[in-house]
Amino acid sequence: MTENRPPLKTPLVPERDQAFVRELKLKAVMVRKQIVEMGHHSRIRLHYGALMGMVEMVTLLYFHWLNVRPDDPNWPERDRFVLSKGHGVPSLYAVLAERGFFSKKHFDNFRRFGSILQGHPDRLKTPGIEASSGSLGQGLGVACGMALAAKLDGASWRTYCLVGDGECNEGSIWEAAMIAGNQHLDHLVVLVDRNRKSSYGPMAGRNDIEPLVDKWRAFGWAVFEADGHDFYDLSQAMARADVVEGRPSVVICHTIKGKGIPFVENYPAKPNILLTEEQYRECLDVLNRTEEAIRSGRDEGHHDRL
Amino acid sequence: MAEMKDITTAYSEALVEIGLADPRVVVLDADLPDSCKTEPFYKACPGRAIDLGVAEQSLPTVAAGLALAGKIPFYNTFAVFAVGRSFDMIRLSIAYARANVKIIGHAAGLSLGYAGPSHHALEDVAMMRALPNVVVLQPADAEECRQMVWWMKDYVGPVYLRLMRATVPNVHAEGWRFEVGKTELLREGSDVTLYSTGDLCVNALRVAEMLAGEGISARVVNVSTLKPLPPEEIIRHAELTRCGVTLEDHNIIGGLGSAVAEIYAEFAPGKPLRRLGIRDMFTESDDCEVLRDHYGLADADVVAAVHSLLDKT
Repeated sequence: MTENRPPLKTPLVPERDQAFVRELKLKAVMVRKQIVEMGHHSRIRLHYGALMGMVEMVTLLYFHWLNVRPDDPNWPERDRFVLSKGHGVPSLYAVLAERGFFSKKHFDNFRRFGSILQGHPDRLKTPGIEASSGSLGQGLGVACGMALAAKLDGASWRTYCLVGDGECNEGSIWEAAMIAGNQHLDHLVVLVDRNRKSSYGPMAGRNDIEPLVDKWRAFGWAVFEADGHDFYDLSQAMARADVVEGRPSVVICHTIKGKGIPFVENYPAKPNILLTEEQYRECLDVLNRTEEAIRSGRDEGHHDRL
Repeated sequence: MAEMKDITTAYSEALVEIGLADPRVVVLDADLPDSCKTEPFYKACPGRAIDLGVAEQSLPTVAAGLALAGKIPFYNTFAVFAVGRSFDMIRLSIAYARANVKIIGHAAGLSLGYAGPSHHALEDVAMMRALPNVVVLQPADAEECRQMVWWMKDYVGPVYLRLMRATVPNVHAEGWRFEVGKTELLREGSDVTLYSTGDLCVNALRVAEMLAGEGISARVVNVSTLKPLPPEEIIRHAELTRCGVTLEDHNIIGGLGSAVAEIYAEFAPGKPLRRLGIRDMFTESDDCEVLRDHYGLADADVVAAVHSLLDKT
């Protein structure tokens, strides 16, 4: 990326970091395109809603936040990222490839026998994947273990964990949250993808998790909120979360399921679909228009503040 | 008989030894450091033992995270919870991920007799045997437990160590060394092989002595590695005797009996085998030894099984 790149983990501000944020936005478009291509060419159903909604979070993590070395993925001092909502892994694959952890040629064999890109995260097969997940509610416990190890060693690396809001229905999330609070794991930052929908539809009135801020607070966490699609807002919240001492932090990231592709955003439920040829074209058209708008600066000031 | 020693105490002592020898060793508990005898580790290696509280589902995941960051976690709780409560976490975060976690299932089988079936671990071996990448061990006595703990520290990969709450004599020959994947011949014999695991090896030796009194030569084999169990480790005993009996404090489905039967069926056709253990039922509360007798693990049951098999051969 350009010489405009600020130091890792710097909270981004519009006055200074406009050029860098423009590059992040373009990365996010490329990631979304890659997801569309992955699903279309493999002819495999994907959770497009979940995948599109988390793009900015993983893009910010891998292009501005995590201290990682794509050419040395097991570097001991690296920051760890655990994708607890393992079904979101195609988005992570797209970001990891874009960041240089593995070649994009692997997308040709996505989710096929012999591929390094399995249906859900496999730490043994994919460079850059830290934990094997896919059964919801486990990743946060694993992240707690990593953070505990860093604490025992007095290490400076940090652990980040992305949890889905539907996943917060799992009791094991709250068991791990209680442990992190009791163990004062201040090197642990959780991002909750708060899109208010789980697989079957809206959570309100069915499998609701509100009051979410109060819940995390009650478990001993420092709680922040951010627009999960706004790099400025997200980075500001992450920076505040990182400096908390004596307790773990959570950033509740308000997101839109399917973000960036209108027909997916408006999909009623179960956006685990196979794209028709027409939908595939529509996705690419929308993303191309978004890309043009970013390049020409026409998207400035139109962040989806929630 | 040799000096009696409690298996869990041997675990406790060995845990401190390996903790002092290797700073990567960490201990996790779920509110049972007293029952699991991990308390000495807290004193010997302060900071490296963490009691998560009554959070059994998080033992495997937190341990996996520690392991992925270079630690060697030993997590402890009763066997029924160590495996059953958190099987999905073990399956994905430990076994599939090949995380270097040591799972210690305490007070397995009918050990916690009076606590009743909620606390009897009678399917843990079946569950763990079905998971790829996991080594399943059960020591016969304190000395074997000590050696297993040291082996586990150096072996890189998931291990399930199943411990009975039992005080038993040393059953091994002088100079014996534990080897993973090897069965141990405890007594030579030519009529029947008694395969046993855990503290029931002591029972098997006692029964062999009784059988000798009536002219029956019983071979006694300690199967302390329940997985991997190479077929040749069973075949070599099967070939030297007319029949076999398995003896385990576990459901006869999925445990030692199943493991041996699988090998007999495939590699030792014509050799009859009887499986003694809990016969696929939920148990009741009472003293562990009373329950073992009740559910068909009494010495007389073993003798009767041998008689009926020898009549057929």
